[in-house]
Order: sequence, then structure tokens, then C-alpha cells
Amino acid sequence: MAERELKVGIGDMKFTRGDSRIITYALGSCIGITFYDPFLKLGGLLHIMLPARTDPNDPKIFKYADSGIHETLRKLTAFGMVKSRTVVKIAGGAKMFEMKGNSDFGNIGQRNAAMVKKILMEERMRISAEDTGGTYARTMLLDVSNGDVVLRTVGKPEKHL
Amino acid sequence: MRLKSYEDMNLQELDVMKEISSIGTSHAATALSKLLQKEVRISIPEVNILGYEETVEKIGYIEELVAATLVRMSNEVNGLMLFIFKMDLANAVLEKLIGKRYESFEDMDEMDYSALEEIGNIIICSYVNAFTQLVGVEIDLSVPSSTVNMLGGILTVPIAEYGYVTDKLMYINAEFIMDGEKLSDGLLMLPDIESLNSILEKLGVS
Repeated sequence: MAERELKVGIGDMKFTRGDSRIITYALGSCIGITFYDPFLKLGGLLHIMLPARTDPNDPKIFKYADSGIHETLRKLTAFGMVKSRTVVKIAGGAKMFEMKGNSDFGNIGQRNAAMVKKILMEERMRISAEDTGGTYARTMLLDVSNGDVVLRTVGKPEKHL
Repeated sequence: MRLKSYEDMNLQELDVMKEISSIGTSHAATALSKLLQKEVRISIPEVNILGYEETVEKIGYIEELVAATLVRMSNEVNGLMLFIFKMDLANAVLEKLIGKRYESFEDMDEMDYSALEEIGNIIICSYVNAFTQLVGVEIDLSVPSSTVNMLGGILTVPIAEYGYVTDKLMYINAEFIMDGEKLSDGLLMLPDIESLNSILEKLGVS
């Protein structure tokens, strides 16, 4: 059976069923969030960039943690996903540059991670695995046939979340 | 007219940015040339206002390992300067400076990294110096910060920093020419929108 691979850009989300993979490249301070319903073999990957959508008219829903997660859950639920059995994994939120004398700079990764966790908690969804923080970028891949999540980073072996 | 985002710049304003960049990058080339004791020429830069994915494609590919130096601007212009080394430029510089060449950034040691950081800092500082003289603004620069990592991850830093205002980056694309070899450079100047407006105002184009 031919395997499909869907690419998710920055501030975007893709979901699919069956023998496919969803990948997002080089998550820096951004966060990748995978949702996987093992019963339906339905999976989604969301790539958010900032914590909160402050302008309600901003059409870029998936760019922000709050609106991105809500919209992803709405879509997946419409396709039959059941929240209680859905496996959620997150990765990213790195601090790519360490600024001497300016510890606030580049903390966006940490703020993203905090927001993602807060929203997921409000949605009563448990994070079953996470790899956040650090100073390096991560490529995240979700295998929708079995729910496996693979992380790729520079100079380290692949990691399964 | 006040700009709200980089992509609002009209042709005349972009032309002015290109003109300043051309002087800035030639100062950077002179500094590099002095340091390496070698003739360094530079092509006329292009100034591109691009989205994240387009910028990545223009410089290389998303998971490509690159070295980057980041400096923060403050005072009359606030923003970021980012210089990206690809392997060819890094090798040309390191070979001249410490007599070493590498297959990949992963094989380098701390000393090589700090040499690259220094070069990146010199390029940025000479660019900004030329810029301040020309525009007549004061700019303070922070100490540099460097990393070696995936190009895509590095470019999320400026994109996220200004993510609430714009989805675009200003990429100044020139080529250093050393020994007849063209070496790509990646310099990103990212003033915040407020500063960009005041720069254009000072230059009398806005």
C-alpha cells in the first residue's frame, strides 16, 4: 500500500486516517502537537508558533496555541475522534539563542509550552509524552498507521516519543 | 504613509533599503577582507521581503545545518540582526583564519564556533555602523549570541519575535567573492515596524 506523507508548515495543521505519515520540520520555539485516536487510526499534527490569538479577526487560526488547539479538536471530533482515548504528544519550545544579560529574550518557546499545557488541561486531555525546551530544533513525525511519534534532531539518534 | 508591515514597503522605499544595504554589505566585506588579509568582493545585494518558508528556500533547506549569529539592536532602532553561515563560507573563513576545513558543522569544536561567532559579529557591526552613519541614527548592539542548528529552527526566532505584527522577514542577499569563489551569505536585518518607519522618515522617502 502506498504511504502518503503530509507536510505541515509553520502555523498550520493537517490530519488524516490510515497508512499515512504527517511531518513538520525544524520546530524551534514553535510547538508540534500530535493527536491520535488509536481506535479510528485518526491522527492530526498541529504546528503552533505563538501562545495566544489576541486579534479575534486574525484568520491564521493554527498559528496560535489557544485557537489552534480548539480548532484542531473541533475538526477531529467532527471526524469521530473521542477525546478520552486520544493520545496527545508535544515537542518543541526550544530557546535557540541564549542572550547574555537579556534572559527574557527568546523565552517564547517556554511561553508556548506553558500555554499548550494550559489549554490541553482545560480540555481535559492528558499529555502522554513530551520533549520540550533545550536549545535545538526538532523535526516531528506522526505515523498514523500506529500512532508512533518520531523526533529528529541534529547530532542525536532518532527518538520515539 | 506609515507602514504596518514589511510588505507594505513600496518600490521606492525598497530601493532605498537596497541602497543602504549595498553600502552596509560593502563595509562588511572590507572588514572581512582586513581580518582575513585577503581580497573580498561583494555583489550588489538584493533586499527581499519574504515569508518564513520562502526565506528558508532562498537560503537553503529547512533541516540544513547552519551556524548563526544573532545581535539585538536597541536605542533609536530596535530589532534583530541575524547572520547565517552556510558550510562554504564557514570553510573559507576558517581555512584562512585557523587553517582548517570541515565536512560538516558537527565536526567543529568550540574554538571554531567562537571564530565564526566573532566573524558574524564583525560583519553585523560593520553593516550597522555604515547604516547608522548613513541614516543618522544611534544604534546600540548587544553582545552576540550564536548557535549551530537547523536553518528552519533558527529562522523561527525572528518570525516568532515579530509574529504578532508580521509574517515577513527582510532578507539581504549578497554574495561574498573570495578567490573567484562565490560564497553565499545570509544577512537578515529586522528592525521593528516602528523603527522601520522612522528610518524611512529620516531618509525622506516616507
